Amino acid sequence: MRSRIWIFSLVLAFMVISLTYAQRRSRPSFDDEDGPVITPPDAGEKTEFTFTRLRYPSFRGGSGYWGVRGSWSTDYPKADRQFVQGVRRLTRLHVRSVEDVVDLDSDEIFNHPWIYAVEVGHWDLNEKQAAKLREYLLKGGFLMVDDFHGSIEWEIFTASLSRVFPDRPVVDLANKEPIFHVMYDLDERFQIPGIVMFYSGQTYEQDGVEGKWRGVLDDKGRVMVGICHNMDIGDAWEHADMPRYPEHYASLAYRIGINYIVYSMTH
Amino acid sequence: MFEFLFSYPSRVYEKGQFVLLGGWPIWAWALLAITVAGGLAWPYFRSRNDGEVRIQGWQSVVLWGLQAAMALLLLSLLWQPALLVATLKPQQNVVAVVVDDSKSMAIADESGGKTRAATAKEILNAGLLEQLKKQFQVRMYKVGRSLERLDKTEDIQATQTATRLSDALRGVAAESASVPLGAIVLLSDGGDNAGGIDLATLSEVRSRRIPVHTVGLGREKYDRDLEIMSVDLPARALADSRITAQVTLRQTGYAKTKVNLTLRDGTKILGQQTMVMKADGEPQTESILFNAGPAGPKALQIGVAPLENEENRANNQVTRLVNVEATKPRILYIEGEPKWEYKFIRRALEEDKTVSITSMLRTTQNKIYRQGVAEPKELENGFPDKAEELFQYQGLIIGGVEIGYFTTAQQELIRQFVDRRGGGLLFLGGRNGLSDGGWGRSGLLDLLPVSIGDRRDTFKRDRAKVELAPGGQDSLITRLVENPEANIERWKKLPEIENYQETGAAKPGAVVLAEFLVGGKRMPLLATQNYGRGRSAVLATAGTWRWQMLQPLEDKTHELFWEQLCRWLVTSSPPRVLSSTPKQVLTDETKVQIRAEVRDKTYLPVSDAQVQARVLLPDGSSEMVDMRPEPMSAGQYTATWDADKPGAYVAEIVAKRGTEELGTDLFNFRREDGVAENFGSEQNKELLEKLSAQTGGVYYSPSTASKLAKDISYSEAGITVREAKDLWNLPIVFFLILSMRATEWMLRRKWGVV
Repeated sequence: MRSRIWIFSLVLAFMVISLTYAQRRSRPSFDDEDGPVITPPDAGEKTEFTFTRLRYPSFRGGSGYWGVRGSWSTDYPKADRQFVQGVRRLTRLHVRSVEDVVDLDSDEIFNHPWIYAVEVGHWDLNEKQAAKLREYLLKGGFLMVDDFHGSIEWEIFTASLSRVFPDRPVVDLANKEPIFHVMYDLDERFQIPGIVMFYSGQTYEQDGVEGKWRGVLDDKGRVMVGICHNMDIGDAWEHADMPRYPEHYASLAYRIGINYIVYSMTH
Repeated sequence: MFEFLFSYPSRVYEKGQFVLLGGWPIWAWALLAITVAGGLAWPYFRSRNDGEVRIQGWQSVVLWGLQAAMALLLLSLLWQPALLVATLKPQQNVVAVVVDDSKSMAIADESGGKTRAATAKEILNAGLLEQLKKQFQVRMYKVGRSLERLDKTEDIQATQTATRLSDALRGVAAESASVPLGAIVLLSDGGDNAGGIDLATLSEVRSRRIPVHTVGLGREKYDRDLEIMSVDLPARALADSRITAQVTLRQTGYAKTKVNLTLRDGTKILGQQTMVMKADGEPQTESILFNAGPAGPKALQIGVAPLENEENRANNQVTRLVNVEATKPRILYIEGEPKWEYKFIRRALEEDKTVSITSMLRTTQNKIYRQGVAEPKELENGFPDKAEELFQYQGLIIGGVEIGYFTTAQQELIRQFVDRRGGGLLFLGGRNGLSDGGWGRSGLLDLLPVSIGDRRDTFKRDRAKVELAPGGQDSLITRLVENPEANIERWKKLPEIENYQETGAAKPGAVVLAEFLVGGKRMPLLATQNYGRGRSAVLATAGTWRWQMLQPLEDKTHELFWEQLCRWLVTSSPPRVLSSTPKQVLTDETKVQIRAEVRDKTYLPVSDAQVQARVLLPDGSSEMVDMRPEPMSAGQYTATWDADKPGAYVAEIVAKRGTEELGTDLFNFRREDGVAENFGSEQNKELLEKLSAQTGGVYYSPSTASKLAKDISYSEAGITVREAKDLWNLPIVFFLILSMRATEWMLRRKWGVV
């Protein structure tokens, strides 16, 4: 009897993990995501702002724990580079044409007060990394997280987040929050889907039916972590130039991204 | 000895005019002198020509010189030389004897352990008074806080709490206006509490040619004493801001001793500084840094605890007043583009309770994001273009904004903000700031404390180390840790700044507080200057934010630096009505001068205002004082008021024009009695000597005071006669003739030409 329970538990655990992994793998991708990366001629320019992507440990890494194609690098680098073109065009911010990548094992992150983390439903921060991220955020750094969906990924995300801020809650951001008005008034927001919608026919993934605009606040009520749950803003940046990708999603994604950057540079 | 040789006192020679009474013309004397000298030279000349030379040439010259000098001296006596000197007519003149009756005269530091007052009495009673009375009518006075007539020397009590020598001299001169006052004799330690003898008094005494003879009493220097000489402290401070008290003290007998200088508010110690005493008598200045604390008037005691065997313990502490204001000055910060520096400056100042920051950030070409506005319409139309709109701020920070963004009128407004309104202006570095933003070609170039050129590639996005410049070592802006040496090291350990902007050197009058180092070169990072009624600064970077991100979370260096820089920017920005008094602590005096400067919303002086001071007395009652406009200074109003009782006072100034209220301001002041005489209690010989020298009198010590009775007659004040004092019969003349003849005779014996 005891051995049957063991076998049943193992099979169940395998099925859950396989299902989760299969969902990731089942997400479609386009050739240009993995295509050759062209370095812009002004890539070496020194600027005020650099789109900085957080490289974090996850259990998805294709070529190891810190694998180049781990979940942190989803949409990389096209989303980053395409988005900053918009930032350059739409604001007075002096932005670098190429992105930067930082991790939580060095102090380089402190030179980049704005960082972007994608697919945080797969991150797994240890205590040391969580402590560094906490210090970074409390000093004035800003983290935007995106492209994670449903309750399971939420649980994984908050498991690491609770190591960063054990006693700081995640709150829903109200429309009146300055982060939605600092550049564009974004009272009318909607879920921004990834390209999965072309195949599934729906704008959400897993059980993440509704887009959530959430955050972690500091003691003065300023947003330190901007959480875009059940959305894939990174995809919208990456595929904004794709005729099939609806313009209104891309536009909102750009506005959200710009607002989050300008907010992080003003608050 | 002098009088034995020269027959008359030295004063006769000082005051007398040399004349020749003989009546023969001076040319006759000259002709005779040449003839005699030539006649005396002839024998020497002839003997050399005849070959009868027995002495050398120079010996002939010496002998001839002695003979000729004596002959000329005798010849001069025939012309009857004399001194013409004015002397007071006996019994027809008044001499005023003024004795210092202040508390410092009770100090027993005269020979034999006598007090200064006792010595004064002794000098007068030992014959001086009697001798004076033989020649003159003598009027005796005692001086302290006021001048009083004195009948007998026993009435000198040395109890008055202040000394007003100027008032005394003016009083004596005024009382004697209708009588021939021949001289004033002042017996004092020179410890004047009103700042010395004023020019008006000196001019009045000199115009009447009244010599003031002084007798200096008391030791010129203590053996063991420490005295607080001065304390320089701002009269106003922002709540919770850090301020510095500059304390100057002097000691004798305690060189190399460690003392603890403290600054207290009641029993609470706000700051202290350990210092090692320098050489005896050398003034020594130390700074105490302290937090002004919450708003309200504060009476701070600054001093050193009495030292072992100190002779005067009452001069170790002074009281100073600071009005800690509850106002929260506002700073307008305009930034040309989103920047990390902008965010971190705002965050640093959000913690600060003493200043508030209102900012406008150009996020796009046509969008401005406003933060910290007092009401929704504030800055709605962009950067202010009206004086009353811009001048409501006390400070202005211009980030990376190109000059072309501002209209010509706005540029002029920025200048007037500093020059006329007295605001503080800070320029930050940036790719559109300073010379890269065209400021080098603008009419506002002189607002910058550093020179900048016309280059467009001065902003570098490279990291640079920073260090404190010599000018920043005493600055409150750059004081990150209290100990000055540790502060220099703290700056060296700061994280590199993210970027920097090259500028030229500091302009004359500007001070470089911090520098950045690039490739072995040092360039100004932070420089300040005064401009008009205000001040301006340049911080040639937009990258201090790394001090926040690259240091431990609990480190507050970045916040502290920005708080201190912004407080400096606004602390001295005056309100529209600014009141003041030259002396906030009245030590043993009653008159308080109230001053007010009144300006309108555009900070132009208002000369037609009704200005009143409501003075709140220590007993809770109040008095209204009308203030009058100063004829030569637009917008300035003054009043003088008597603080009758000791204690704390508050003066509230209200300025109106018609029914329009222009503004109010207040300051506090305090009257303290029995304090002034404790300070500067050594004899102020310099003051007494100067007073005598400038009025034609003589300074005497107690041991030489006996000569005074003889000297006093030679005065040009009062009723005088001119006397001719013969010089031909002086003993010195006889001795000179004798000594010349004797010398000649001895030389002749020696050289064998007798």
